[in-house]
Parts: sequence; structure tokens; C-alpha cells
Amino acid sequence: MRVVHYINQFFAGVGGEDSAASGPESAPGAKGPGRKLAALLGADHEIVATVWCGDDYAVGDAGAVDEVLEFIRAAEPDLVVAGPAFTSGRYGLACARVVAAATAAGIPAVASMHPDNPGLDEAGTAPVVASGEVARSMGPSLATLGGAVVHLLAGDDLTADEGRIGRLPRRSVLDERNAATRAVDLVLARLAGDRDASEVPLPRFDQVTPAAPIADPSVVTVAFVTEGGLVPDANPGGLESARATRWLRYPIENLPGMAAGEWRSVHGGFSTVAANADPNRILPLDAARELEGEGRIGALMSEYFVTTGNGTSVANARKFGIEWATDMRRSGARAAILTAT
Amino acid sequence: MTGLAGATKRGVTPPVATLGRVGLTRHVHRITAMELGERTSLEGGVLSVAVEEAEGFFTDPALASVTLSVTAPGASARIVKVLDAVEPRTKGPGGGGIFPGFVGPAEAQGDGTTHVLRGAAVVVAGYLPRAQEAVIDMSGPAADLCPLSKTVNLVVEFEPAEGAAWEDVDVALRLGSLRLAAHLAEAGLDVEPDEVDEPLDPEAAAGLPKVAALTNLQTQGPFKDVFVYGRSFAGEQPMVIDPGDVDDGAVVSGQYGHPSLKNPTYVHQNHPVAAALRARHGVDLCFAGIVISPEPVAMAGKEEISAAAARVCADAGFDAVIVTKEGGGNADADMALKMDALEDLGITAVGLFAEMSGIEGTGPPIVVPPERATAMVSTGNYDHRLTLPAVARAYGGERVALVDRPATDELELPTAVIYCSLSCLGWGRLRAVV
Repeated sequence: MRVVHYINQFFAGVGGEDSAASGPESAPGAKGPGRKLAALLGADHEIVATVWCGDDYAVGDAGAVDEVLEFIRAAEPDLVVAGPAFTSGRYGLACARVVAAATAAGIPAVASMHPDNPGLDEAGTAPVVASGEVARSMGPSLATLGGAVVHLLAGDDLTADEGRIGRLPRRSVLDERNAATRAVDLVLARLAGDRDASEVPLPRFDQVTPAAPIADPSVVTVAFVTEGGLVPDANPGGLESARATRWLRYPIENLPGMAAGEWRSVHGGFSTVAANADPNRILPLDAARELEGEGRIGALMSEYFVTTGNGTSVANARKFGIEWATDMRRSGARAAILTAT
Repeated sequence: MTGLAGATKRGVTPPVATLGRVGLTRHVHRITAMELGERTSLEGGVLSVAVEEAEGFFTDPALASVTLSVTAPGASARIVKVLDAVEPRTKGPGGGGIFPGFVGPAEAQGDGTTHVLRGAAVVVAGYLPRAQEAVIDMSGPAADLCPLSKTVNLVVEFEPAEGAAWEDVDVALRLGSLRLAAHLAEAGLDVEPDEVDEPLDPEAAAGLPKVAALTNLQTQGPFKDVFVYGRSFAGEQPMVIDPGDVDDGAVVSGQYGHPSLKNPTYVHQNHPVAAALRARHGVDLCFAGIVISPEPVAMAGKEEISAAAARVCADAGFDAVIVTKEGGGNADADMALKMDALEDLGITAVGLFAEMSGIEGTGPPIVVPPERATAMVSTGNYDHRLTLPAVARAYGGERVALVDRPATDELELPTAVIYCSLSCLGWGRLRAVV
């Protein structure tokens, strides 16, 4: 059967961070880690093409996944395999999005990454198998991935036995008993000594180590981000008041502050009256311009990023964070102020 | 706060006393149909409503007019922009003290006889600022998810008076709907009830584990507030409240955010956790009472109130507590802090959580999970999508704000928009499973 392998620019041998902005490309046959993977797949399966893309481009460019998918389709695969991405956030996100898009397009797909990779939640219904933490564990990671590919191509579903990780989709169903009755049953089970009984698995959250303080703020570009739903008055981008699925960017270059009447918060989670009377209290551009004028910060980024933090899923919030960080790196910002409501 | 509420605030009341000093008897009248007419009366399960008289309860400088309509389960009908819903109840002529602080005096009720028109509701629908779009379907797939899809509803639509402040419109609607609900129930005063619920016998559960409800109320200012004995509960301390008082409408909702995750007055009147505990009282547990608590907006307040709520439960001698919330991810923090605080005091805690795991159900389900108290009940996935069929008739507005489509159209909506569908108080049967 025909397999297409997706990897990033680094594993394709194109380059490191300096090439992270490069767009997608494709070549026939296996490349980089794909060579060992091809050997693990045996004689019945062949890696017919390798598609790769720079991590910043793959995560930061809105159309990147569609472009990658075009290259994949051109090779007419029976299955798409992506990674291993280890704990690399951008690479993991790219792999997850590629297999999610392939699955949505009807092509079976599987990705490989470490269970702590933030991309894990982005794979949608596509399976993901565990890799090690770093590239040093490439050998065993590829062995797991190769086994998963063979398993899938034999028409079988992947389970934890084949190294599958990630949350299985949780569907809403109607139970016989209402939630209050089930809560009473759970109380009685716990009182009877069952310490594990629960209907909801505990989510795992990454503990983020804060970046080191900036030695000299007077020479860095500072980015502004807010979850306060502050957009131009007409809300041209249609930002949601709750359950945001997107973030938007608006220019603030040459503005001394956020003028009342020109900006509006569409946030559904708090009374926006005071925010709309003085939008600087959501995005404190007035104060930041003073600091900029005094030379206490180098410069402000020319645009700010905005979403609505009201009923927004953790998965979406995490995705926005990775996209913001990628974008800021490309724009040269080295610090960000995130205002919350 | 009243004398009784004040006295119980610090949790000094023995747990059995929270079952009611004498106890509340409920005379339940089952309502199967409602019609608009000349005279308010109840006969054979049919509630007739005198229209002019009913509209009169909404005579207020803040309201230009109201329109009353009836819609029943099974109808090809949708109510949009749903605000509060109230079950008609009364304790006697003029309400007899029902809805203390609004209709009755602001003091403890919770005993005597309360007449309940089960199967009927007063539902207020229309635009208010800060209210998030909320939908009730009277038939179709969403009808299984909402308690108000199962009731014959007297829908109140309204026109604000020109220049009226929205806060005054809100007050007028709340007072009007509570007075109307009390008035409608008076039709049952001289009618033989279909069912009589006697008070619980505290002695029947002697020696069984004492299990209570800890009910969080979302208290975030105008249009996002909950009232206890007629006053905003924002800034209050956790307190023991007589379950009979909750039955008699001591907790009234003015909270119009998070449609699927809010607890309207109707659901407080029929507190599902209290009902589930009552059903098991004397069998395998002792229903030990209800503690209500605000959900402060700042983290320090959440921590302080959670510690205080756990102490109230410990002082009351509870062995286990079922914790419920109101609101979105922010309110998960109130849940997690309270559950962990209870476990730390040796009290078994179980929490009801709506999951917010994205359209595909693969994201982390809980925004702020508890760390030590891990017993959680699922009330379904907030982000799960539903297709609602087109309907013949819509009430509450011409369009559905969220998707900006005609209210009668076929609509694809997240469960999050269906009124009470993820009922944090445990009304519903939805749950998420792998």
C-alpha cells in the first residue's frame, strides 16, 4: 500500500530555526526518519513520497495545512503518517493538523508525538501514537509508529496496545438516570470506599515554565494580546462573544490610545459598559505609549491580537497561544502583555 | 437577610433542623393543558388563564406592553431569548408567603402546605443586555434536553417602555412573572391534588450517612445575578438554607448568561439534587440539607468563599456533599476549590460538571479540575452540535442572535445554547462518554 510521510524542515534536512518559515515541499520516496520507517513497514507497504514544511509556516499560516494536503493528495496515498514530533510544540501541532485534515478528507492517517505535546488535542478524531521525549528516542518511537501503520493498513483500529495516546472522542448521550441521581450513586460508591469512581477523566495540563525576565526592556518590541473581545466598533472579523473559535489582529500603529466609540468589546462574560467607555482599560495602549515615549520599552508591535475568553475550550486556547507565540517570534517581539478580563 | 438566614449563616444549625422545622407538604396538581380565557381556573388538569388579569401583573413604568401565549410539549414551536422560567406555586391567597422577598415577606417559609402546578411554567423571553441567546424547542431532538420542553408554557413576551433603563425592565419582568406564577397556582387552592408529598421524617434516616447539597449561585451583577429572600446574593457568605425555603422560591434567578449552564428559578424550585437525595432518605442516606454559596469573580474571593463553604458543611456534620455550579469555565474554579476544601476536611465531595471538550469531544473536558476530590459527574459536552428542525412558530424574537438566522429556521447549534441542557443542578440525563 502507498504511504505518504509528513515531517518538518529539520528532519527533511532543509535547515533548523533559520528555515522554519519555509513553505511545504514534496519529494518522491522516503527521507530522513522515513528511511528507517520504510524498513519497518516491510515489503507490502511503500513510502511513496515525503512532504515537509517549516514549523513556523505550518502553524502560523492559515492556508498551510491545505497546501500540505495538496502535496499529499498528489501522491495518492492509502495512508498518511506524520512525525515523530517528540515534545516539539509547533511540529506536533503541524503533525496533528495534517492528520486531522487527511482524516477529514477521507484518507486514513496517524501521527506520532510525546503525550505532553500540545498538538495532541488538535488531531481531532485521527489516531496519535506515543513517541519518546526527544529525537534520541527515534528508534523505539519509529518502531511504535511503524507497528501502528501496519495495523491500520490491515484495517484494524488502534488501541492503547499499539501505543495510541490522547483522548478518545467523548460523545454526548442520554443516560437512563439524570445527573443528580448519578451524583447520589457516586457519593454512595465513594462512601463505600471506591476511591476511583468518576464519570470524567482528570484532564492533564502542562505546567508552563515562565520565560526568563528581559534584561533590558528598553530595546525589545512588546506585543499586546487580550482575551477581552476588544475589536473595531463594527466587529468586521465577526469575533464571537463566547466559545471563540478564532483570534483576530488589528493595527494600532500610530494610535496614541484606544479611542471610545472606535473600539468595542464583544465579550459575553462581563458587563462591557466601562470597557467601551474607555477601551484603554482592556488594551492599555495609552499607558504603553507613555512607556514607549519615555524609552522604557523599545517599541510596541504594530498590531494587537484579540480573542474572547468566555466558554472557550482549553484546546482552542492552547492553539491560539502557540499561534500567537509563533507569530510574535516572526514579527520580532520578545515580550507580550496579555490582558485578561 | 432575615433573622433565620442570619442565624444559620455560620453553620451552627444542627443538620436535621435543615430538613424543615415542621416540614413542607406539597400538594401537586398535574397540568396537562393551558388555555387563555376570561377566568383563571383549574379543572381536570386544564389551567385556564384570564389574559387581562395576567397581563396586569406586568403593569410597570418600565414596560410598554406584554404578550402572552401558550405553547405545549410536542408543538412545532421554539422559544428564543429565554430569560427566567418559574413554576406556579402558592401557599394561600395572595401567595401566602411564596417567593419570599418578592411576593411574600422576606422571611423563612418552608413549612405548611405549598400548592404546585406541576407541568406548567411561566417563561419570560425577549432581549435584555448581557443575556446570551437561549433556545427551548418544544419538539425534536433538543426537547429531550430541557425541562421547559416538558411543561405547558405561558410565554411572556414584552416591549420595554421608551427610555426605560434595562435594569428596571429586568426588575419589572421578575416581579411580574413571580406574581403571575403565584396567582396562577391559586387556581389549585380548592382543587383536590393529584399527589401529596409529605415532609421527610428526620428519624427515618438515623445512623445513615448525612449527605447534603452545596449549591453555587452565579452572582456577577445586573443580568447575571441570583436573589435569595429577594436580595442579590453577591457578596454574601455561604449559608445553610432550609430545603423547604428553596421549594418555596427563596432562590430566584436573574442570571441570563450561559443558557445551558444556568439554573432558572424553575430548577431551583425543583432542586434536582435535593429531589434525588430526598428519594434516598432513609434508604441508604440521610438528606442533611442545602448550603448555598456565591461564586465570586476574583480568585481570592473564590478561595475565601470555598474555605468558608467547606467549614459550614463541616460544622453541620455532613459526611458527603454534592457540589453544583452555575456558569462556564470560570465557575469550574469554584467547583474545584470547594471540592478540594471539603475533601481536606474529610468530607466526601462529588461535583457535577459540564464538559467543554470541543466539537469533536477530544479536548480537555474541565477548565479547572479539582486536584484531590476527583469524583465528577458529567452533564454532557457543551460544544456538541445539534441540528434543530425548522418550526412553525417562534416566540421571544424574530431571529436567533448567535447565528443571525430566522428563529423558525432549521438551525445547527451547540448544546451550549439549549436552555438548561447541561443543567449544573443535575436535572438532565445528558452525559459524555467515550
